[in-house]
Amino acid sequence: MAKFHPDIDLLTEYAAGIMPLAQSACISAHLNYCPQCQRQTARLQDLGAVLFEGLTPEPVGEAQLEAVLARLDEQPPLSYSRAGSVAGGRLPALLQRLMNGDFSELVWKKITSSLRISYVKTGDPNYEFALYHIKAGGRIPEHKHRGSEMTLVLQGGFSDAAGSYHEGDFIYRELDDSHAPTALQTEDCICLAVLDAPLRFTGWQYRWMNSFLQLRAG
Amino acid sequence: MRRAFVEDRESGSVTSWQGSSGRRTDEWSECLTLIASKEDRAAFTRFFRHFAPLIKAFALSGSTMSATHADELVQEVMLKVWQKARGFDPERAAASTWVYTIARNCRTDMFRRLQKFNTPLAAEDFTPDQEPAEPFAMLQTRRSRDRIHELMASLPPDQAQILAKVYMEGKSHAEAAAELDLPLGTVKSRVRLAIQKLQIQIDR
Ligand SMILES: [Zn+2]
Repeated sequence: MAKFHPDIDLLTEYAAGIMPLAQSACISAHLNYCPQCQRQTARLQDLGAVLFEGLTPEPVGEAQLEAVLARLDEQPPLSYSRAGSVAGGRLPALLQRLMNGDFSELVWKKITSSLRISYVKTGDPNYEFALYHIKAGGRIPEHKHRGSEMTLVLQGGFSDAAGSYHEGDFIYRELDDSHAPTALQTEDCICLAVLDAPLRFTGWQYRWMNSFLQLRAG
Repeated sequence: MRRAFVEDRESGSVTSWQGSSGRRTDEWSECLTLIASKEDRAAFTRFFRHFAPLIKAFALSGSTMSATHADELVQEVMLKVWQKARGFDPERAAASTWVYTIARNCRTDMFRRLQKFNTPLAAEDFTPDQEPAEPFAMLQTRRSRDRIHELMASLPPDQAQILAKVYMEGKSHAEAAAELDLPLGTVKSRVRLAIQKLQIQIDR
């Protein structure tokens, strides 16, 4: 069971449908691991429904009703079937779909000896959506964020000065938090990271890499 | 099971509690059940007459959507209601929450279409894979919903205003802050206060 959760502000933005696409995908993925946040989100959605019921109705003409009645026999558009998810996979269906399968399907880019990154396309023009693969015991060099960063642990775990995180845990950081996560010794760690500004390594040995880390949104 | 039983004793029986609180929503759940089981067009028409004007009001509340797009949204949502009625589970959600969720998703998709987002995802794809619902949790959810109804009237106007901006107008916290000329922190704390007053937050 996840121990680190999105706060109520984030869940409200998610439930109200006002959160950017890439961030919503990350929250949705956390909900797959977390019945507690799922219940919280359901309540926040009920709030939306109560507000919706309280709106002053806007008149809708009979012609509109006729138009809809005339379309009822249309074939519904094909929608993505959840039944197609990888059998036995614990990965949220939404992520499997974005990745076209599982981690092995991705193209990984080597950043350091223990860090590989794979960029996943979501269509969100403002956020980068990437998977980080950190070797067991490996460390991501100390870095800062100029914007916000959502992280969700998908496999294994990592720790930093603030705590240690495992599968399903969600971490949100804003502005200039500097940290240096280290993967647990026991297994490789895979995380999802959603960023609105590129990482900046702070140590002098790694600073030369910053120019390669421009934001890959889209 | 034991916890469900305790709940039972506190409130009389679960069934009587349901009956006394949910009459208004029950009518719409029944409509959806008729649509799903019998493709009942009369039930659909009743449902349309009640919800279409609310969907239109929802579409227009942000004042960024044209009347044409609002009408388009009404049609799209009502067509989805017809097509998806079989997926409606009255045990899990109230009919109005179910419709609201479809309307919210369709509006999000429409905005993304208008902004020419190139994404493989529709808003409804973000619904998490669901666990089978547990009876006790569902009872709590229904109670929470009734409480929101009851407490809404006592919400201070500044908090109610922000909730309307965020949920109905679809403004982000930052956009609401800019529009009302308030610091972002004030907007966030008003939303949080409202959520506390409505007893929506689950302790964890
Ligand atoms: Zn959670």
